[in-house]
Amino acid sequence: MASIAHWIKSFTLWELLKGMRLTGRYLFSRKITVQYPEEKTPMSPRFRGLHALRRYKNGEERCIACKLCEAVCPALAITIDSEQREDGTRRTTRYDIDLFKCIFCGFCEEACPVDSIVETRHFEYHFENQGDQIMTKSDLLKIGDRFEDQIAADRKADAPYR
Amino acid sequence: MSDASTVTIEIDGKTLEVKAGVMLIDIADDANIDIPRFCYHRHLTIAANCRMCLVDVENAPKPLPACATPVMDGMKVHTKSARAIAAQKATMEFLLINHPLDCPICDQGGECELQDVAMAYGGDVSRYTEGKRVVKDKDIGPLISTDLTRCIHCTRCIRFGEEIAGLRELGATGRGENMQIGTYIEHAVSSELSGNVIDLCPVGALTAKPSRYSARAWELNQYPSIAAHDCIGSHLSVHTFRSDTNRIVPIENSEINECWLSDRDRFSYKGLTSRDRLLKPMIKMDGQWRETDWQTALEKTFAAMQDTIRNYGADQIGVLASPNSTLEELYLLKKLTSNIDCFNFDHRLRQLDFSHQDQAPMIPTLGSSITDLESLDSVLLIGSNISKEQPMLGIRLRKAQKKGAKICQINHRVYDLRMPCEVGIAAHYRNLVLELAAVAKALNIDSSLLPHAANTLFVQAQILEKHSQIAEILKNGEKSHVILGNQAISSPYYSLVEIFARAIATSCNCLFGYLTDGANATGAWLTGAIPHRDYNGASQKTAGLNAQSMLEQPRNLYLLHNIEIDYDCADPVTALSAVASSDFVVCMTPYVSSDMQNYADILLPISPYLETSGTFINIEGRVQTFAGASKLKNSEARPAWKIIRVLGNYFDIDGFEFNSSKEILEEIERTIGEFKGDNTATITEATALADKEDVIYRCSEVNMYHSDSIVRRSEPLQNTPEAKEDRIHINADLAKKLNLERATQVLVKHGNKTIAMHLAIDDTVANDCAWTSFATATSKKLGPMYGVIELEAD
Amino acid sequence: MVNEVCFKNIDKDKAWKLDVYQSTGGYNVLKKILQEKTDPATIIDELKTSVLRGRGGAGFPTGLKWSFMRRDDPGQKYIVCNSDEGEPGTCKDRDILRYNPHALIEGMIIAGYTIGASVGYNYIRGEFWQPYERCEEAIEEARAAGLLGKNIFGSGFDFELHSHLGAGAYICGEETALLESIEGKKGQPRFKPPFPASYGLYGKPTTINNTESLASVPEILSRGGQWFLDIGKPNNGGSKLFSVSGHVNKPGNFEVPMGMPFSELLEMAGGVRHGRRLKAVIPGGSSVPILPGEIMMDTNMDYDSITEAGSLLGSGAVIIMDDLTCMVSVLANLSHFYMSESCGQCTPCREGTGWLSRVVHRIEHGEGRMEDLDMLFDVAVKMGGNYYEREGGRTICALGDAASMPVLSFLKHFRKEFEYHIEHKKCMVARY
Repeated sequence: MASIAHWIKSFTLWELLKGMRLTGRYLFSRKITVQYPEEKTPMSPRFRGLHALRRYKNGEERCIACKLCEAVCPALAITIDSEQREDGTRRTTRYDIDLFKCIFCGFCEEACPVDSIVETRHFEYHFENQGDQIMTKSDLLKIGDRFEDQIAADRKADAPYR
Repeated sequence: MSDASTVTIEIDGKTLEVKAGVMLIDIADDANIDIPRFCYHRHLTIAANCRMCLVDVENAPKPLPACATPVMDGMKVHTKSARAIAAQKATMEFLLINHPLDCPICDQGGECELQDVAMAYGGDVSRYTEGKRVVKDKDIGPLISTDLTRCIHCTRCIRFGEEIAGLRELGATGRGENMQIGTYIEHAVSSELSGNVIDLCPVGALTAKPSRYSARAWELNQYPSIAAHDCIGSHLSVHTFRSDTNRIVPIENSEINECWLSDRDRFSYKGLTSRDRLLKPMIKMDGQWRETDWQTALEKTFAAMQDTIRNYGADQIGVLASPNSTLEELYLLKKLTSNIDCFNFDHRLRQLDFSHQDQAPMIPTLGSSITDLESLDSVLLIGSNISKEQPMLGIRLRKAQKKGAKICQINHRVYDLRMPCEVGIAAHYRNLVLELAAVAKALNIDSSLLPHAANTLFVQAQILEKHSQIAEILKNGEKSHVILGNQAISSPYYSLVEIFARAIATSCNCLFGYLTDGANATGAWLTGAIPHRDYNGASQKTAGLNAQSMLEQPRNLYLLHNIEIDYDCADPVTALSAVASSDFVVCMTPYVSSDMQNYADILLPISPYLETSGTFINIEGRVQTFAGASKLKNSEARPAWKIIRVLGNYFDIDGFEFNSSKEILEEIERTIGEFKGDNTATITEATALADKEDVIYRCSEVNMYHSDSIVRRSEPLQNTPEAKEDRIHINADLAKKLNLERATQVLVKHGNKTIAMHLAIDDTVANDCAWTSFATATSKKLGPMYGVIELEAD
Repeated sequence: MVNEVCFKNIDKDKAWKLDVYQSTGGYNVLKKILQEKTDPATIIDELKTSVLRGRGGAGFPTGLKWSFMRRDDPGQKYIVCNSDEGEPGTCKDRDILRYNPHALIEGMIIAGYTIGASVGYNYIRGEFWQPYERCEEAIEEARAAGLLGKNIFGSGFDFELHSHLGAGAYICGEETALLESIEGKKGQPRFKPPFPASYGLYGKPTTINNTESLASVPEILSRGGQWFLDIGKPNNGGSKLFSVSGHVNKPGNFEVPMGMPFSELLEMAGGVRHGRRLKAVIPGGSSVPILPGEIMMDTNMDYDSITEAGSLLGSGAVIIMDDLTCMVSVLANLSHFYMSESCGQCTPCREGTGWLSRVVHRIEHGEGRMEDLDMLFDVAVKMGGNYYEREGGRTICALGDAASMPVLSFLKHFRKEFEYHIEHKKCMVARY
């Protein structure tokens, strides 16, 4: 009995038709291919991209050199030197992130008590020279200044879940 | 079975047999039962004010503080019961309501007692919604920074000042919530032990100013080491951040420094990163300094030494080494010099009277252990400002004094020893000998045993009440000690002082001991860093020149090890002219100064203490080895023993193949054998006392924060009021006699030098005596530590 | 039986003068004791018979306290009188110092004789300038009459008395803080043990008594302990000075027998002002629990009766409040007082008094929350223990307990008013 059914199926190209049905279904369904870089995928406010150091509205840098991000970093990508600034506050004199070491885990962001080090949505960048991968304090602050509106909006969007 | 002195108690179900009357917290600590605490500290009195150690004692109507509850027989204690935990959590909540949540910027963060205890007993959300207390910070000097908002009022710092440092500098003003720790009138704290409050403070209210905000506790590596600025050898832990020393904290050692550390030992490390550091070997060529490599520098040094030996003889080489040098360095230097037949080798840089050196004891020591000082009944300090020169011994004597010991001092100035002094005599260096003679006379010593020079003084001596008082105190003490301090050793009449001091000690059956300059003078005597003896006091074929003669009779070539001749010698002016007139000067030094650039010909950078390994022998004869901890960036400095080793190789001397300082130490142990400190000596040779004249005698004390080259470059220490003390002190009588009562500045003429100095009228100074601090920028222009000077208004 | 002991001479002209005091038999008992060399044990027994309980507030039997001193041990001993009367509502010692200083001096000499002290200190509250001057005058008079100094009444007994004026700290009324203050230190209570009887002033054995206790001693000894006991009732001997203040027509000090019904005392003070309803009474100074008027009207004024009613006799300062009083505002006032008078030594009191005060103030100003009430209760218990469950405080001295008791009792008896304040942001009672 089974052999008869098999004979009929192979004679009518049943398997082929079955496969074509699947092809046909996808032929007419909605396409999800994104034409990167012309098109972008949607992003979560929690996206962990390039790092930035933020400032307060009055222009004062947020970072207080507590070194918690340095301590928590599993890849040892962060290096901080600190000292007492002239006004008596605790500040960094050096804040380096080695992006080759960084694994973008976001722990630094979690550890930061003042929301200073953050990971932005920005992930498209390249380096041209050896050594460029080390983001210095001024680089990070510049990134922060550039994306501050987006960063602030993302923090706000995520705030209820934190 | 328990007798009257022991009781049986139960803590957390553990039955313990303990001594009656001991506080519960001590018992729990010994039994490894954790009880949280803030105000309690083993070495301080009990305040019982933080209420963190409340525990549940059965049948007590309320939770009791473990720190102030003596154990009683049958007591049943629960440290983890619901009632105990509730009480502890309640206290924690009270402590936290006004404590700022600024742990991320607090230097104590990560090693904070409050943080640790809050992890166990604190809540996650505060019920306190009112405004928090804010307290204005106070400036209490360059060493300690204050963040008084963080203070939890445990009063450890206050109790430390009263009980250990002997100086009430910090106190509490205001009451209730407004209680504040402070100095009342804002001023820098001046205690030589002030840094210890940083360790004592359980929170970040008092932190170290020099290392403020520079590193977090978890980033630091710890290396044990030995303090190098006094003859005590406190145990300390060097905390390095990357390769730099970030801070220094004491290591608990009940036999030496307990859990304390002097400010000098704690903050001197800042000198290691001074701009003056010599980074590369340098050679002076045609009056110009050039950097060079080690090979050239060492070859040049060797060539210069060989030239001198060939042309003028080895006798024309003078070798001076700092008493802060390690045992290994001194041993190799001795080995090198004696092999090239040069015996002009000395470490006694701040000594002026060498007349009795042949009769000196084999190795000078304290004559007792440091801990034994606590149990003394009476002490006579001669030429010693012990609280500043050896702060750790000051603590011990203070403890003895609290137990009833009587402290007497005969000094150039009646020093504030931070404890009540039974008898204090001020006398300039000439009269000091006479005062001692009078005390000896009051003791009725057998004058026939005294050498002639001393005997005449003895006969003339006038016994006054103070002398008989000292004599009585020493005689009546069951355990008494006569101590010759640094200033006695550098006195121009050291020999006479020692003769009388020994006579006094012998007649009262007292202990007798010395307090020496530097960290390793004892080791220097042991390794033969003296011109007249070989290792361990063995005799030597010829005697060389001592430190002072070497400079008075300039040599052709000087090898200076770790010294700045214009600060570290008793007579800076003579010393400078000696090195200036010599043909060739080799400086093995961690630092370079402009003076040094003038007189030196080759500069060899050596690693200072903390960067090198070695051994110090402290004043009680304890041999303590330490390893290097930090390293200066971009520095080619080498440990001095390696440099001496290479010089030995150039001279082709056998037995210079060492690969580590440990190998040298092993050889020292083999050749010298076991260390035996022995203070016994019979002294008959003495310098004759000059006739009485109506002149002003200058007496000096080495400024505690100028004692060696590292300390002199430590910025925080140099910013203390103590370090800036650079005035000439005379008493009101002398001021009146000289018509200087209103003067603020005077011209001081010492030898052929005249300089202007600020004047301080100070009635602690002896009559006809002008007291100055030594090894400062002013004193180096002024001739020897002791001498006759003239004063006139500027 | 009013004005029998400390206020015996109060009606006389210039009652504070030595001759007035002596005219009614003053210093006779001292003379008798010194001349007969009465055995100190007899004196102590007499005091024990009288059941004179410490009048400062704790009510500890004076005779027992004196018996703790080891009279024959060598070395200096001290008798100290605590005239640092700082308890809000109390002003009885002030009037003893003003009108009968010689009774105090005689009492102190007798105490000195009994415990073997040759020096006494009278620590007088900083604000008591006139009483201090009266006292100094009296000491001068006594010294001139040979009642102080060397060899009093030719007995070979020496006694010197010094007045020490405080500087205005409530906490110095605590006996060990008072000792610290005399020594010239910051007034902070010491941890006990050791008790002053073994380690007191300057480290020497010391007995500290309240002014009223000491001033009662001569009268007790001259008329007998039993006489004194009979004035009051068993275990609550003698008469007591009550300082009645607040909303009464005739506030003042009243020396009345122990055990007098409160209603009679209120009557003596002229009744509640304007004939209003009695709302609440603090029967023994601000540090004791408050009681509603109804309970008080059925209570007698003695240690045991008031304890039974749920409060303490304390120093005998009776604070009367009529029905126009806002209890929240009273508590705000009291807790502010404790905040500024905490010495700052122990954590729970230093931090807790401020916390309580701020929360109560917030409630008073209409910014309270319902959960604040339970929190207040909890904080008060954690600071000063729970009086209602007989649980002790967590601090070195009793100021923690004292500061917590008003909070606990106000919340117990008048919680509704607090709730009203929180809910309606205003007082339950009409302000005038």
